[in-house]
Amino acid sequence: MVDIEFEIDGKLVNANQGDSIISIADREGIDVPRFCYHKKLSVAANCRMCLVDIEGNPKAQPACSTPVANGMKIYTKNDKAKNAQKAVMEFLLINHPLDCPICDQGGECELQDVAMDYGSDVSKFNEGKRIVADKGIGALIQTDMTRCIHCTRCVRFGAEVAGIVEMGLTGRGEDVKIEPFLTEGIQSELSGNMIDVCPVGALTSKPFRYEARTWQMNAIQSIARHDLVGSNIYTQTYRGKVKRVVARDNEVVNETWISDRDRFSYEGLNHESRSLSPKIKKNNEWQDVSWEVALDFAVSGLKENTQMPSQFGVLASKHSTLEEFYLLQKLTRSFGSENIDYRLDKADLSIDNSLSSTITLAELESIDHALIVNSYLRLEQPMINHRIRKATLSGASVNTINIKKFDFNYGISLEVLSAPQRTVSMLQSVLKSLHEKTRTTLPKYLSKTKTDVTHNKIADDLIAAENPVIILGEHINSNPSSSNVVGLISEIAALSNAKIANLSLTGNSLSAERVGFKPANGGSDVTSMLSGDTKSFLLMDVDPNYDFISSKLATDTFNKKNVFVVSLNSFEDEQTLSSADVILPLACFYESSGTHINFDGVAQSFSASVSSPGDSKPGWKIIKVLADLLGFEGFDYTDSSQVADDALSIDITVDNNSEVNIEVSEDSQVTAHWQNSPYASDAITRKAKALQETQIGKINDAFVSDLTAKELKLSEGDLYHGVPVSINDSVAEGCVFVHTYQSRQG
Amino acid sequence: MNEVCFKNLDKENPASLATYELTGGYKVWRKILNGELSPDQILAELKTSGLRGRGGAGFPTGLKWSFMPRNQEGQKYVVCNSDEGEPGTCHDRDILRYNPHSVIEGMAIAGYVMNATVGYNYIRGEFMEPYYRFEEAIKDVYDAGLLGTNIMGSSVSFDLYTHLGAGAYICGEETALLESLEGKKGQPRFKPPFPANVGLYGKPTTINNTESFASVPEILSRGGQWFADLGVENSGGTKCFSVTGNVRKPANFEVPMGTPFSELLELAGGLKKGRKLKAVIPGGSSTPLLTAKTAMKMTMDYDSIENAGSMLGAGSVIIMDDSTCMVKTLTRLAHFYYDESCGQCTPCREGTGWLYRMLQRILDGNGKSDDLDLLMSVQEKIIGNTICALGDAAATPVESFIRHFRPEFEYYIKHGKSMVEIDG
Amino acid sequence: MISDQSKKEIDFWVKKYPEGRESSAVMQALTIVQKENNGSLTNELIKEIAGYLGMPVISVQEVATFYENYNHKPVGKYVIRFCHNISCMLNGSDDLISYLEEKLEVKTGEISKNGLVSVKKVECLGACVGGPMCQIGDQYYEHLTTKKIDEILGNLK
Ligand SMILES: Cc1cc2nc3c(=O)[nH]c(=O)nc-3n(C[C@H](O)[C@H](O)[C@H](O)COP(=O)(O)O)c2cc1C
Ligand code: SF4
Ligand code: FES
Repeated sequence: MVDIEFEIDGKLVNANQGDSIISIADREGIDVPRFCYHKKLSVAANCRMCLVDIEGNPKAQPACSTPVANGMKIYTKNDKAKNAQKAVMEFLLINHPLDCPICDQGGECELQDVAMDYGSDVSKFNEGKRIVADKGIGALIQTDMTRCIHCTRCVRFGAEVAGIVEMGLTGRGEDVKIEPFLTEGIQSELSGNMIDVCPVGALTSKPFRYEARTWQMNAIQSIARHDLVGSNIYTQTYRGKVKRVVARDNEVVNETWISDRDRFSYEGLNHESRSLSPKIKKNNEWQDVSWEVALDFAVSGLKENTQMPSQFGVLASKHSTLEEFYLLQKLTRSFGSENIDYRLDKADLSIDNSLSSTITLAELESIDHALIVNSYLRLEQPMINHRIRKATLSGASVNTINIKKFDFNYGISLEVLSAPQRTVSMLQSVLKSLHEKTRTTLPKYLSKTKTDVTHNKIADDLIAAENPVIILGEHINSNPSSSNVVGLISEIAALSNAKIANLSLTGNSLSAERVGFKPANGGSDVTSMLSGDTKSFLLMDVDPNYDFISSKLATDTFNKKNVFVVSLNSFEDEQTLSSADVILPLACFYESSGTHINFDGVAQSFSASVSSPGDSKPGWKIIKVLADLLGFEGFDYTDSSQVADDALSIDITVDNNSEVNIEVSEDSQVTAHWQNSPYASDAITRKAKALQETQIGKINDAFVSDLTAKELKLSEGDLYHGVPVSINDSVAEGCVFVHTYQSRQG
Repeated sequence: MNEVCFKNLDKENPASLATYELTGGYKVWRKILNGELSPDQILAELKTSGLRGRGGAGFPTGLKWSFMPRNQEGQKYVVCNSDEGEPGTCHDRDILRYNPHSVIEGMAIAGYVMNATVGYNYIRGEFMEPYYRFEEAIKDVYDAGLLGTNIMGSSVSFDLYTHLGAGAYICGEETALLESLEGKKGQPRFKPPFPANVGLYGKPTTINNTESFASVPEILSRGGQWFADLGVENSGGTKCFSVTGNVRKPANFEVPMGTPFSELLELAGGLKKGRKLKAVIPGGSSTPLLTAKTAMKMTMDYDSIENAGSMLGAGSVIIMDDSTCMVKTLTRLAHFYYDESCGQCTPCREGTGWLYRMLQRILDGNGKSDDLDLLMSVQEKIIGNTICALGDAAATPVESFIRHFRPEFEYYIKHGKSMVEIDG
Repeated sequence: MISDQSKKEIDFWVKKYPEGRESSAVMQALTIVQKENNGSLTNELIKEIAGYLGMPVISVQEVATFYENYNHKPVGKYVIRFCHNISCMLNGSDDLISYLEEKLEVKTGEISKNGLVSVKKVECLGACVGGPMCQIGDQYYEHLTTKKIDEILGNLK
C-alpha cells in the first residue's frame, strides 16, 4: 500500500511504509552513490557513501538505512549531501591503491565511477597507504585485498545467500580484513557471485585475470544451460573469445545470481582437446578431412551399415539445444526410424517420465514445506536450492528421503535414508500413511504395506503444510524402478495437495521432451539400441565414458567393428576417438544459437556469443546438411530461429501406453548409485580447468555404510571402481553412493 | 556527598547484602513484590527526579523506560552497561565493587517497569574483581529469594546474569554492546531501529548505565523530589565524578549536581605545588577540552558545562596543569580512538588513523605547516558522518585542543619539540 | 584440545543465554580456552570452539581478532598490561613503562627471555583514579611507582 508522500530533490513521490530512501531514489532514477548497499542483501550502512540531507536533520543520513517518512524533504545533491559524500569518498581513497591500470575491475569499478564524479580533488593524505597481505581463497576468485573497501557485501552474500559463512571481517579498526578462516578455498557453489557483488577490484575472476580490459569486451546476452533454470547471463567476449561470464538480472529466473558452474564452465571452450576439424577413421587411422569428405563418408557409412531403418539409432546429450533435438528427431523419423533417445543415464525407461512440475521457480520461494526425494539439491540445481533456502528463511521446513545425508545450506527437519531399491517401499508407506490420515480408500497394492513413525511424520508434515512441494531429484535416474517412484509421488502429491518439482530432467531435457525426442511407436530406447541390433549411430555431444548408465555397454557397442558411429562432438576424447568412425566438430556452448526450455517451461533463445573455433560448426547446421545429403525434405532452414519456431509450434505427442505397476517386490541386493559430481555434469564443464580445482570439482568418494562395507568386503580407502571408499553412517544400508568427477566404470 | 550510589562507602563490608539491606536496600523491590508500587508510579517518580542517563548522553531515564513496548508479547530485556571504558572514567567500577546491590535492585525494578524478565549486566572483561563481587551479590540475592520466577509468590519474575567483555571500548556504545552480548564483534548497529524495538536477540531492550541503575532504588525510596532537590534545574540529584590527572588526590566523588568545579578540584586535593591549571576535560576524553579560565567558572551540571562549551558526559574530570604538553596529550587520545575504532564505517576507520598518524608525525618532529588545517578539515569530515558517536568522539579532542592551544601546536611543528618544559 | 574442565566452564556461560543463543558464550569460551592454553589461542582451538558452540569458524575468528584480550601469539606466563592512556600518562605511566622495559629487558609486545613476563601497552582500564596502573591476570595494581613495580616483579615466579 502506498501510504507515504514525501519530497526527494524537489519531486513529490509516494512510497510504502518502511521503504528506504535509496530504493525510492533508484525507482525514481535519482542517482545516489553507494558501495555497501545491494538490493538483494541486508543493509549494513557502513560505507557511508549514500549520505543525503534530510531537512530538519543536523547530520546527513544514509539513504540506504533511513526509512522514508511522511512529509520528509530529502536532498541528495545539495551542498550538505555533496560535502558528506565527498568526505566519505576522500576517506575511501586514502588507503585505496591507485592501480586502476592493472586492475581487472577497471572500467566497471563502482569506486572508480564515483571517484570520477567527484572530480579532481587531490588527496592531501600522505601518511603511507595500507597494504593487505592476500590469503588465497581458491581457484575461482582472485583476491587483491589491498583494494578492499570493507563494504562487507561479500560477507553478507555468504551468510545470506550462499548460506555458508566463509568470509568474514576480522580484526578491528584500520586493521579490519575481509578473509576466510583458512585458505582451503571457498566451498560454496555460488561463490562467483561475490565477484559480481564486490564493487571494487578486491574480488575478481581468477580465470579472467589480465585477460582483457572490461571496456574492450562485448557483452552478449545468453542463457546458461547446465541445469533446469536457464540462468540469464552475459558472455563477455574479446577478439572472438569468451573471456568471462557474468549474471544478467532476471527476477523470475535467476534473480541476480548464477552458479559457479554457469559462470566458469566457459573455460572449457579453450580446452586443448577441442575438435577443430572433421575427421574420418579409415583402417583404424584417423585423418583430418574437409567437411565435404567427412559428410560424404558419414552419409554413405550410415546408408551402407543400415539395412533397415530400425538399425539406425540417434542419441543426444540432454544439454543439446531445442533446435538440435528437433532437427535430429526429424532426421531420424525421416529415415524411418523411431530410435531416438536422450535419457542416456536413466535405468528405467519403461515409461515416459511424465511427472510434470506444477510450480514455478518464483513460487518455490513461498512454499512452507518441501519433501526432497533423491536429490543433493544444492549441488544439482544451485539456483533452485537457493529459492528453497529463501523459503526456509521465512519458516519453511524440509524433509529428505535420500541415499545419503547431504550437506544442505539450511536445516533439514527429518533426513530419511533409503537405498534406491527401497525407495519404492518407503514411498508406499508414506502413501499408506497419507491414506490413513486422510481417510481415503486404500488401494489394494498397499494392503500389506507397513508404516512407522517416520512415514507418519513425512505424511503429517505434508498434510499440515499449506503450500508443500515434493521435489524429485537426479538420483532417481539410476533407480531401476523409477517409474514406480514417479507413480507414487504423483499419488502422494495428489493426496496431500502438494505441488511437484521434477528436477530429474535436467539440462535441456525439457526441450527434448517438447519435441518428442524419445522412441514412439515401438522404437528402441537407449538401452535397447545399445543391446540390440543397431548398426549405425548418430551421436550428438555424447561422451560414452560419462553419459550412460552403463559406460561399458555403451563403449562395447560403439566399439564393435560392424557398428558405424558418427559423432558430433566438440571434444576429441580418447573414448570418442575409439568409438566413432566420423567426428564432425561441433560448436560448443556459446558458439551456437539455440533455445533452452527451463523449469518454468519458458523457452529462452540465445544467439552465438562467439563463432566456433577451427572448422567446427553449430549442431543445427550440421544436422540440416546431413539431412539434405540423406535426401530428406523439409530441412531448408537458414536460421536457427526458424527451427525453433517449428519446434515450438508442432505438437508432437508421444504414445505412452505403459502402465504403472506399483506393486513391486523388494530387492535385497546391494545397489550402486553413480553420480557425476556437479562439475562433471557435461562436456564443457568437465573441461573447465578452474572448476575442476575447486572443492566441488574434486569430489571423489564412494560412500558406504559399515554393514554394507562388510558385505562388500570394502575397507576405508579401498577403491570402488576407481573411487576411494569412505565408510560412513550417513549413507543408507544396502547401497554404494559414488560421487565423483571420474568417468563411470562398469 | 556520597548520598546515593556511594552511600555505603564508609560502612564495613559495603558490598554485602546485609549492609545494603540495613540502609534500606531492597525496600522498594519488596514493595513491588507486595504489589504496592505500579510501573506508572515508578515512571512518574523517575520523571520528577530528573535522573538523566549517566552513561554520557544524559537522556532522561524515566522517558527512556516509557519507550519500551511493555505490553507487547514476547521476551524483553534489560541490560546494564558496565563496560566503563571512557578514558578518565572509573566510578562505575567502584559502584560494582562497593554497592553492587543498588545495580541489581535498579535493574530488577527496571525489569518490572518494562515487563522484561531477563537482565544482563555487561561488565568489561578486565573488571574481574568487580565481576566476582557482582556475581557474589547476585548469588546472595537469589539465595534470599529476591530474584527468579514468581518471586516470593508474586507474579513478578526477573532473572539476572552477568556477561563479560574481552577488551573493546566500543562495546560501551549500547548497540555494539548488544552485538557483543550476542557473541559477535562489537560493531554498532545503525539506527533506526532503536533497541527499544529491536534490541538484544531482536527483542525490545533497554540499556542503561551502571550509575543510572544504581540511582534508581534510592530515588524511589526517598522520592523523586528529594533527588531532584539535591541537584539543580535540569540536572537532578548527585553524580559520581572521577577526578584524575594532575591533582594531588585523584579520586571518585559523588557530589550534588551544580557543585562548582573549583570545589571538586579542591576535593581532589587541588593542584600540585607550584602548578597552574592549564586545561580541563570535564566529561571524559570524548568531550571538548576547556581552558582553565572557562573551567573555573563552571559548575558541575549539564547546562553549565554545556554553556562552557563542553559536556558533562560520563563525569570524568581530567585535570591538566601547566606541565602538560598538549601535542603529546592529544596524540595519546588520537591513538586511543584509532586503536578502538571498530573499523566498520569508512570515516571513522580511515579518519582516526589519518588523525593519529599526522599527530604522531608532528610529535616525532616531522610536522608540516599545513598540518593543523588538514587536521581540522579531517576531523570535520568525520563528525556527523559515522554510524555511532565514536567518530564524533575521536574528532572532538582534535578540534578543541587545536582551537584552544593552536600556538602550542604551531610551535611544535616549527621547532620539532614541545614548548612546555617538562620537569621530571 | 579443550579439556573437560574448560568445557564445563563454558557450559556455565552457555546456560546464561536463551536456547539457540549459545554463541553468546563465545567470548568467555575464548577467554577460558586461552587461559588453559597458556594465554594465547591457536587456529585449532578456534575451530574447536566453533564446533563446540555450533558457530561458523570464521565468526569465531572475527570475535577472536576483534577483542583486545585475545592473543594469537604466545605470551609470557604473566602479561603485564600497562595503561598508557591520558589519566595514567598525566601521572607518569610512560616513565614507568620505560622503567619496566629496561628492567625486564623487553620491549612492549615482547616476552622476557625467561618466558616469565610479557609487557603490553593498553588503553584505559577504567581505574584512572589509581593511575599509573597495570593489570596482571585478574589483579589491578594501582598508584604504581618504581618501588612498587620492583615489589610486584619480585613476586612473579
Ligand atoms: C563510543 C561510545 C562509548 C560508550 N561507552 C559507554 C560506557 O562505557 N558506559 C556507558 O554506560 N555508556 C557508554 N556509552 C553510552 C551508551 O551508548 C549509552 O548511551 C548508555 O549506556 C545509556 O545509558 P544511560 O541512558 O543510562 O546513560 C558510550 C557511547 C559511545 C558512543
Ligand atoms: S564510528 Fe567508528 S566505532 Fe562507530 S561504527 Fe563507525 S567505525 Fe565503528
Ligand atoms: S550504501 Fe548507504 S552506507 Fe553504504
